[in-house]
Amino acid sequence: MEHTYQYSWIIPFVPLPVPILIGMGLLLFPTATKNLRRMWTFPNILLLSIVMIFSFDLSIQQINRSSIYQYVWSWTINNDFSFEFGYFIDSLTSIMSILITTVGILVLIYSDNYMSHDQGYLRFFAYMSLFNTSMLGLVTSSNLIQIYIFWELVGMCSYLLIGFWFTRPVAANACQKAFVTNRIGDFGLLLGILGFYWITGSFEFQDLFEIFNNLIYNNEVNFLFVTLCASLLFVGAVAKSAQFPLHVWLPDAMEGPTPISALIHAATMVAAGIFMVARLLPLFIVIPYIMNLISLIGIITVLLGATLALAQKDIKRGLAYSTMSQLGYMMLALGMGSYRAALFHLITHAYSKALLFLGSGSIIHSMEAVVGYSPDKSQNMVFMGGLRKHVPITKIAFLVGTLSLCGIPPLACFWSKDEILSDSWLYSPIFAIIAWSTAGLTAFYMFRIYLLTFEGHLNIHFQNYSGKKNSSFYSIKLWGKEEQKMINRNFRLSPLLTMNNNERSSLFWKKPYRIGGNVKKGALITITNFGAKKASSFSYPHESDNTMLFPMLVLVLFTLFVGAIAIPFNQEGIHLDILSKLLTPSINLLHQNSNNFEDWYEFLTNATFSVSIACFGIFTAFLLYEPFYSSLQNLNLLNSFAKRGPKRIFLDKIIYLIYDWSYNRGYIDTFYSISLIKGIRGLAELTHFFDRRVIDGITNGVGITSFFVGEGIKYVGGSRISFYLLLYLFYVLIFLLIYYFIF
Amino acid sequence: MNYFPWLTIIVVLPIFAGSLIFFLPHRGNKLIKWYTICICIFELLLTTYAFCYHFRLDDPLIQLVEDYKWINFFDFYWRVGIDGLSIGPILLTGFITTLATLAAWPVTRDSRLFHFLMLAMYSGQIGSFSSRDLLLFFIMWEFELIPVYLLLSMWGGKKRLYSATKFILYTAGGSIFLLIGVLGIGLYGSNEPTLNFETLANQSYPVALEIIFYIGFLIAFAVKSPIIPLHTWLPDTHGEAHYSTCMLLAGILLKMGAYGLVRINMELLPHAHSIFSPWLIIVGTMQIIYAASTSLGQRNLKKRIAYSSISHMGFIIIGIGSITDTGLNGAILQIISHGFIGAALFFLAGTSYDRIRLVYLDEMGGMAIPIPKIFTMFSILSMASLALPGMSGFVAELIVFFGIITSQKYFLMPKILITFVMAIGMILTPIYSLSMSRQMFYGYKLFNAPSSYFFDSGPRELFVSISIFLPVIGIGIYPDFVLSLSGEKVETILYNYFYR
Repeated sequence: MEHTYQYSWIIPFVPLPVPILIGMGLLLFPTATKNLRRMWTFPNILLLSIVMIFSFDLSIQQINRSSIYQYVWSWTINNDFSFEFGYFIDSLTSIMSILITTVGILVLIYSDNYMSHDQGYLRFFAYMSLFNTSMLGLVTSSNLIQIYIFWELVGMCSYLLIGFWFTRPVAANACQKAFVTNRIGDFGLLLGILGFYWITGSFEFQDLFEIFNNLIYNNEVNFLFVTLCASLLFVGAVAKSAQFPLHVWLPDAMEGPTPISALIHAATMVAAGIFMVARLLPLFIVIPYIMNLISLIGIITVLLGATLALAQKDIKRGLAYSTMSQLGYMMLALGMGSYRAALFHLITHAYSKALLFLGSGSIIHSMEAVVGYSPDKSQNMVFMGGLRKHVPITKIAFLVGTLSLCGIPPLACFWSKDEILSDSWLYSPIFAIIAWSTAGLTAFYMFRIYLLTFEGHLNIHFQNYSGKKNSSFYSIKLWGKEEQKMINRNFRLSPLLTMNNNERSSLFWKKPYRIGGNVKKGALITITNFGAKKASSFSYPHESDNTMLFPMLVLVLFTLFVGAIAIPFNQEGIHLDILSKLLTPSINLLHQNSNNFEDWYEFLTNATFSVSIACFGIFTAFLLYEPFYSSLQNLNLLNSFAKRGPKRIFLDKIIYLIYDWSYNRGYIDTFYSISLIKGIRGLAELTHFFDRRVIDGITNGVGITSFFVGEGIKYVGGSRISFYLLLYLFYVLIFLLIYYFIF
Repeated sequence: MNYFPWLTIIVVLPIFAGSLIFFLPHRGNKLIKWYTICICIFELLLTTYAFCYHFRLDDPLIQLVEDYKWINFFDFYWRVGIDGLSIGPILLTGFITTLATLAAWPVTRDSRLFHFLMLAMYSGQIGSFSSRDLLLFFIMWEFELIPVYLLLSMWGGKKRLYSATKFILYTAGGSIFLLIGVLGIGLYGSNEPTLNFETLANQSYPVALEIIFYIGFLIAFAVKSPIIPLHTWLPDTHGEAHYSTCMLLAGILLKMGAYGLVRINMELLPHAHSIFSPWLIIVGTMQIIYAASTSLGQRNLKKRIAYSSISHMGFIIIGIGSITDTGLNGAILQIISHGFIGAALFFLAGTSYDRIRLVYLDEMGGMAIPIPKIFTMFSILSMASLALPGMSGFVAELIVFFGIITSQKYFLMPKILITFVMAIGMILTPIYSLSMSRQMFYGYKLFNAPSSYFFDSGPRELFVSISIFLPVIGIGIYPDFVLSLSGEKVETILYNYFYR
């Protein structure tokens, strides 16, 4: 039994040989390495499977006997300082490593097909394995320095993978943005680590908690300083988990290949922030302000992410904002002190969101063949629609993921989200109301994505229906769908849904709304490219290969059943579930004295309420996004809505404002680009100017002065005897005058 | 022990062998190249051999001592010896110079002179790192300027004469102060000049005099190091010089200033150092931020890297100023680590310049497709330069951070402030270094020139960059390689601060 623990240092190192070998191969023997190509995938998946078996074994042991195992080696020894390396196995580690390896393996299998035609196939796999290595290192690390090291390595992998298609300027900007934003978090993390080192003199988690609790108990620390350090540590988690002020990198990170978005930017790396806060919860829990801050940031992110997800046209960006919102839920749960709920949601969300991202990857893959390979087109929900018929399996998988994320009962996310929501009632009613209403929003935007993608007809062919190919005048509906005017001319769609008349929009918005700009262009390009093909027959998207469908189906299974780990089963009178068994020594602030019976009652009421809210969200989404031509009933319904008179316009305005806010990402990116980026550029210009003109100017000035002085002396010493005599006499005269006046 | 004059041989071998270049038959550059590279490798092997077998790491005293009277008239000795402080820079010198010689193969104009100057510089640098006599140190310091000046003024860009003149004026100006300091210390007190480091280390001076000496040495080393505001020679010089010269400048020459600060200012003038160290830390912090933000405003690729190395030197200054074991170790580690990283970055910038022939960053773009290997190495090394964990820069900066945090000399608030500002530098670093690599390599560009114009990094260039990259990652994973060299000596130096 102990052997597993003893050898578990190997966990992060098992996948490491692959990136090293691929990297060396690509650098030294490029052609030979590239010829092997798919051969490299097998060791990749194999090694990760070994780790997966290992971590399953570990977690079984953790369930049986919850114990913490730690082993430490010294890394650098000096007289004054020593850093240590080690590993730390507890329930959190085992959960995270199972999560990373399962999702990792599935994503690797998936991306074998997804990336098979890419030039950088091997590079991709090298980066992926490097990421797996560093992520596993992060979860097994035993002290803060180690966490910091792997934290940055994970960030670097994310940088490399976001910028994977480096020829695209957008991707280049996005990866730099991600790295710099994460670096701000690292800045906080490092300062926090240093601060806590200064307070306690230790990096090891257990020593740190112990010393710190003693200090707090004896009231020996400066409370302000401690709070500062703790919030600096939290900044690291904020940046990594894309929480409110530093969330800007996550939507842009969707420039990377879709498997990456599934693995890194949905399931594992963004969960690292949650992981770290969970790991350090014994530290944070004694500082109440920090807990409040964490839950506050969490709730802001929940709401912000959900509102920003409302009007995204890009399917992956929509999912990214939804990830952000769900991470906010986890952060909220941690801030409330319900450790268990946060981790449960982390697990369920990881599987559901990985499923959704893989599904969207499959959609993109099938759309790419039709609309072209630009992400502006292949990921654009404007062109999608009606994919239900063409990609049925993907549709089922995506629907399962969507329902799970909305919180529909048998699926995974329902259990965890419900737990968070019911805990939030105990914590603070205001937060609870926001969290509940956001659950409705979640259902709304998820179904919006689903409906726009799968229901109706394939929108890319609409221009052909209308008969005019260069209809660049057609406008885009607010939520990114084409206006129906071309099909149904006499049907003046309700002002609620259209943005076609600019004069109306300029009533309440100064600048005419430019949503459709690039989309129109994209559509035009597509027509020219594919016009010939389409003239004969429309090309329809096809279902992806089995290699891509298999991981999705496995994830569907996970999404269906992973909720079961927290369903309590009565066994010999002991009321326990697997997750509670895993997390027994953990902290639970809210359920101090809850007994069994009340629990069930409470659970039922909460569940009904949350499900009804989710259903309301879904219903609203159906109302707004149900394809019009598919059912006439809806048209009538909408017409009746539209005919409601002046009240409509006001509502219209509000909705428009919300969508505008959402489409422009809450103007936060704009604000950052104006304030921070301009500020830094200005500073750079200023210091550059100062450096060139002042500091260098002095140097050059000295040079030029000495030149002039030299020239002057040369002129003076022009070898004319008379001039010398004149000077000589002049000085004698002055001397005599001084002599005369003084003495 | 042994009386074989290892160090003397190591110091004089390159220049003697180098002067033989002029007697080689005129048979093209190939012979000269191979001859020089063989000399360099031989010298490196000799150094490594001597240090492996005749240097004991656990001994903080100087070893391999040689002491010959050179000029009877004013007690001038040829005193050389190494200790834990100088062994690192000497090995670095050997390593970087060898690679720089390899990197200089494309130089065809006056290659005879070029290679001779490289070897002369080799001698001068090892001489100044290993001298144990103040006057000898000064002479070596000056001796090594001549080859650098010639290298700068004869090979490089269009404005090379301007930058070479600037360099020589700056450093000669600094050397005046160095000379004043050397003579002042040497002639103080006794009847006959004492220039030996050992005797000087135990000597104490009146505080005012010590401060004056300190300022003199500080100015000399601040020019070389460089410390703001005496840094403007560096971007000009690096922007214009040939890249193998740049490797030597960034890799070794800058480190001489830092080495001098530790060797003379810390070791010989401890009282003044503890007075000045807060100022050093403040200047170092300002330098990190200032140079990093200036680097952002540069359009010229090499100048941007040059400013980044100024910014990194800030960490060394802070480490020296923190007067802790940890901080000083971090500073020494940073000397070594930046020696590798800076040299590698200049090398890669130079090789990519050879291909694209563009100087300004905003004109470049999309180079990743034609030159993927250079792209790979450049991104790895710019990651190293922004202190990614697992690379040497990270360990060095982390240890410097700890040096500041654990320093008992300062109060809490200043420490917090300093750490905070240093950490802001940590945010600025990725901004400039990543945007540099983004502007050069990312994106796409349609080239009018035929594609055969670009050829990817050949085996020679790949070898150079990989062999610099290996120690970078080696130190990053196991920093005790370097720390074990310097640990004992650092302790001895700091012993003076607490028990005297």
